[in-house]
Amino acid sequence: MSTLLTLLTILLPIGYLAVWADYLWLFYTDNPRARRTCSRLAAAMVLLHMIVMVVRAVGLKRLPMGTQSEFLGALALAILGTYLIVERRFRAKGTGFLTTGAAAVLMLLASLAGPGVAATSPLLHDPGFAGHAVLVLLAYTALSLSFVYAVLYLVLARQLMRRQFGLLFRRLPALETLERMSVVAVEMGVPLMFLALALGHLWMYDLADRVDARTAQALTPWDPKILLSWVIFLAYTAGLVGHRLFGWRGRRMNIMAVAAFVAVILGMGAMHHFFPTFHKFPTLDESTIATPTSDPLAMASREDR
Amino acid sequence: MTGVTTLHVRSISHKNAPTAVRERAHLTEERAVELMDALSAGSAAGGAEAGEPVCVSVIPVSTCNRTEIYLEVRAGADPDAVLREGLRAIGADEDVFFGEHVLRLDDLEAIAHLYRLASGMESMMLGEPQITAQLKEAYRLARAHHEPGPGLLRAFQGAFRAGKRVRTETRISTGAVSVAFAAVELARKFFDRFSRHRAVLVGTGETGALAARHFLQHEIGQLTLVNRSFERAEALAATLREEQLRQLDDPTGDDAEASRSDRAIRARADRITARPWDELAAAIADADVVLSTTGATEPVILPDMVQAAVHGRHGLPLFMLDIAVPRDIHEDVAKIGNVFVFGLEDLDEIVQGNLAARRAQIPHAERLIGEELDEFRQWLDDIDMRPTVAEFRAYLEDLKDKQVGFVRRKHSDEVAAEVDKSLQQFIKKVLGRSMSTVRNAETREERQRHLETLRHLFSTDERDSD
Repeated sequence: MSTLLTLLTILLPIGYLAVWADYLWLFYTDNPRARRTCSRLAAAMVLLHMIVMVVRAVGLKRLPMGTQSEFLGALALAILGTYLIVERRFRAKGTGFLTTGAAAVLMLLASLAGPGVAATSPLLHDPGFAGHAVLVLLAYTALSLSFVYAVLYLVLARQLMRRQFGLLFRRLPALETLERMSVVAVEMGVPLMFLALALGHLWMYDLADRVDARTAQALTPWDPKILLSWVIFLAYTAGLVGHRLFGWRGRRMNIMAVAAFVAVILGMGAMHHFFPTFHKFPTLDESTIATPTSDPLAMASREDR
Repeated sequence: MTGVTTLHVRSISHKNAPTAVRERAHLTEERAVELMDALSAGSAAGGAEAGEPVCVSVIPVSTCNRTEIYLEVRAGADPDAVLREGLRAIGADEDVFFGEHVLRLDDLEAIAHLYRLASGMESMMLGEPQITAQLKEAYRLARAHHEPGPGLLRAFQGAFRAGKRVRTETRISTGAVSVAFAAVELARKFFDRFSRHRAVLVGTGETGALAARHFLQHEIGQLTLVNRSFERAEALAATLREEQLRQLDDPTGDDAEASRSDRAIRARADRITARPWDELAAAIADADVVLSTTGATEPVILPDMVQAAVHGRHGLPLFMLDIAVPRDIHEDVAKIGNVFVFGLEDLDEIVQGNLAARRAQIPHAERLIGEELDEFRQWLDDIDMRPTVAEFRAYLEDLKDKQVGFVRRKHSDEVAAEVDKSLQQFIKKVLGRSMSTVRNAETREERQRHLETLRHLFSTDERDSD
């Protein structure tokens, strides 16, 4: 089994690169064969990667996002999977070269990062935390796709304004479609973010009951990252409401989408820079968690030992 | 060409003949049928044996850009003599088919031409798909009257296959190559769901009406016509409504279960309206697409008019197309945010770009046509083998059936089925080897010798005497 897993781990980046190459082929030549194969190849890669993730999770008895390599791989899978959902809905393959390219680069980096040392935090064994982490990953992936589509909207609008009828004009979908793709990505990201935040809060309160008083103090809802996440959630929700109820559309709407995502990246970067210990629960390790037999977190930790 | 027949085409097209000549050569459907009847009625033209029709089959193809006559005649017959006689019989202008503007192609060259034609490679607009439908119609008409000969039958089927491959495996038919379609293609870069958007046509000239028809064909949700003469706008709106309603499957509208497309057409027809000239600004404010084609000497769409229209759009782009000369839209309109103004030169650039993209597909298309022609050649090469191989196969099948019957009597059905399967494989291999030996003969004489031997050994007559 481990040999097969190793083989699949080697094959995955190659597969991701093949998907990217297929979408690039489609973008540059609009070849009918590329049109037929690209989505199927991408879907096959998503399926294969999901199988690898599940097998790895079962083997490691934890969420396979503990190392840098695992995290980058999961991000690549999230991007490719979310992109496929959007592509299927709009039947527009002209933007695939960008998103599959991002996924392929992440997958390559994951592969180059090597196996690494897994984070020893017992949190990774906890299903509540695992769900929270996966939802956060998916939510931010959806928002990043929204950013990509908004950027493409602005690029195409600029080309049309300048009467440049080049490759982007020929291959990209209509401005209206790009805007809808961006909005749909936000519509996917906002509820996912809400679920991630809600699950995170519930899980945190549950965990607070099982750790000592000093550690419980670190589990605060006033964690800057949590607060920033709520701000991001509210900002995107407001954008959606504006779009739905007040008919916000066009260039201004897409500039807002780009600005919002840039703010997210800058905000998160600043957060990590100025408050590096927040949301890392530094005092939380296996010894600090109470281990009643009914506690799944504790049981998972014991199994690990 | 097929051993007993030869294939020919006589073509008058936009490539080699002016419009006046093409008009003289044009054959209506009735004339085409008359020609087919006349030629298949039998004649001895061209030196064929008396009493035997020299023309095996004829398929006339006549469109606005070309008239082509595909002929399959008995080997040795003069196709020109056959055609002249047929044209004379129906009282057509026969001279036009034998003048300087005619392209004469015979045998494989004629087939290659047909394949290229079906692929849109011979069309005025490279890759245009209409010719395939026209060829299919000509083929259907021919089959309805007289079954084409084996050569033309195979050639047309091969041509349709080649056309399909070229269209699906290359991008030779994509992208607008006319200004009117380019207008739609450009508008589609803004709005992909046309049915949810509204267009306004300013001016009711011929170009504008044509563009409006294209937008309606692409299911624009609402069309408003504005003209200085309100009567003319109303008249064009009525004409366009009528044209829409002509597409109905159930024109009476009595069917309560009217199809979805019928309902959509009726709804669209209802949304073709006219507005008076003084409501131009209001019409623009309601629209997502503005087409302007008036004959005015001064701009009629002014910046303040558009500025007011843009105000309530919440950032939704306004697509404006000015195909009037001189321009209808004031140059400052293009400076307004979210307003995209295009002109004829932009449409022309798109058309030229698409044509270049289509031309880039020619080598790929030629390769595909070459592959299909190779298949036709192979079929042609094997045509003399077919009767002999059929007899050889029948002989082997006969032996196999006897052997299987024997095994069934001696053993069981299961064993017989196994033997049957095994002998089928054996027959396949023996036939394959024999055909390959005949195909690989170095000379025609050697090939004939091989076939002769097979015929001698396994023909029905030999077996009967055996």
